[in-house]
Amino acid sequence: MTEIKDWKVYLSKVKEINKEVGAFLFIEETPPESLKTGALKNIAFGVKDNIAVEDMQLTCGSKMLEGFTSPYSATAVQKLLEAGAVCIGKTNMDEFGMGSSTDNSALGVTNNPWNTEYVSGGSSGGSAAAVAAGMVPFALGTDTGGSVRQPASFCGVYGLKPTYGVVSRFGLVAYASSLEVCGILGNSIDTTRSVFEIIKGKDKMDQTSIDYFPVNSEAKTIAILGGDLGLSKEVETAYKKAADAFRKKGYSIIEVSLPMLDYGIAAYYTIAMAEASANLARYNGVRYGHRSKDASNFEDLVQKSRDEGFGPEVKLRILLGTYVLRSGFQDRYYTRAQKIRTAVGNEFAQAFNIADIIMLPTFPIQAFKHGNSSLSQFQQKVADKFTVAANLAGLPALSVPISVENGLPVGMQLMGPHFSEERLFKAGESLSDILPLAICPKKMEEY
Amino acid sequence: MTNLSIMKKEELKITAKQAQLELLQDEEEKLAKAVTEMLDYFTMMSEVDVESLTPTTHALVRENALRLDEFNVKNNFNNNQEALINRAPEKNNNFIVIPNVL
Repeated sequence: MTEIKDWKVYLSKVKEINKEVGAFLFIEETPPESLKTGALKNIAFGVKDNIAVEDMQLTCGSKMLEGFTSPYSATAVQKLLEAGAVCIGKTNMDEFGMGSSTDNSALGVTNNPWNTEYVSGGSSGGSAAAVAAGMVPFALGTDTGGSVRQPASFCGVYGLKPTYGVVSRFGLVAYASSLEVCGILGNSIDTTRSVFEIIKGKDKMDQTSIDYFPVNSEAKTIAILGGDLGLSKEVETAYKKAADAFRKKGYSIIEVSLPMLDYGIAAYYTIAMAEASANLARYNGVRYGHRSKDASNFEDLVQKSRDEGFGPEVKLRILLGTYVLRSGFQDRYYTRAQKIRTAVGNEFAQAFNIADIIMLPTFPIQAFKHGNSSLSQFQQKVADKFTVAANLAGLPALSVPISVENGLPVGMQLMGPHFSEERLFKAGESLSDILPLAICPKKMEEY
Repeated sequence: MTNLSIMKKEELKITAKQAQLELLQDEEEKLAKAVTEMLDYFTMMSEVDVESLTPTTHALVRENALRLDEFNVKNNFNNNQEALINRAPEKNNNFIVIPNVL
């Protein structure tokens, strides 16, 4: 992390590169005053546009909240500001966090800095692109089913999804409350760790936040999956490279099978959509956000405002969520999904009896091209196979950039038991000499 | 694929009404297809024997979080009623305006 000396020069460089990358939806106009104290003094950072920063826009990438500004800051943001860091703007995202490409944003396009024809991943695609392009050393994101880790993998940066409840969700716009966490996209393990140390901790403003009980022991055994995992050739190569690198570092590598992973996706989407349908009921055009101009009565106002404000993917998820919660359908979908959630957790708990870390590919393929033609919305959902388990079971997971294959980065995901973030950081660090971090070709010049 | 998994247009309309969404004609067709695709995918959950499993509602909640049942006008964070009401699309003094209900 580099301290900013001249904010004016720095911000103009960020704005320039943002024209090509589109990582930020909003960049601060006024250069801040330099600070003298704080662990992160004069360090710039970005914040995904579904996390509140006082007096900055909070759009969730949706027309529903275009123009809305937050009256307060999220706890995680507040802690960073108190440590002297400076939020320079809000990053683009799939609308309300629903997507894997950031193409579902209603407010802007984000390109992968490695190749602008490709997506940066999602839903925290803006945050990942901003870090990869060197605009900021770190950015906050949110991870409901892989939304920090997958873009981290696509953009060749580190992405931490912390243990559920360890980072306060106060000030994070709710999508699927029982699954989502505030996460970090960072340019190194050191940066990611420093930010995590600052933002973690129980918060009286979030009743699901919990005290931290760190797992101190280091990993000796790393489990990988055997058999045909349906990976692209490039991701398969990177998975092998990572396992080989760990072997060289003295870790013992074992194979496990996790048959619940496939069912996990169906359970995940059932639960996420059910929670989304309830959480997004608040957007009714009354207290804030978009209000339809054509409404003749109250009911009409709510329906029209929602129809005009939400994009197609959001509507789809609200509809499905409403459906699975309807009386008569709950046992078949929602309750069953919650039971499968238990089974996924049990399966991982068992695996952690014989392995200290489980390494899975973050995503079965590398970044894909813009537009639905290369990977449909449905295929994108099914591809969340390796990431959703950590959300269902509340486990920490760190996506580590492993290699660049055919010009695009690939990341692998290290998963550990609850509170084992430090174990994941150490394991990731141990790879740095064998698999050094590749530098993105489109990187902002030094500031 | 079971028939139960396919959302018929009528079902879609009922669900949309419950979700307070007004769907336009072309939207309806696209969404019906996407909804059916997902529901069909969800049916794979029926393959899992869940008999002995209890449902998980939250990933990691150690205890029930309780607080005193106190009336608290001032929030602990830096804002006030005015800042929130000022964000309403239409207001009149301290009130949020909506179309006539009666």
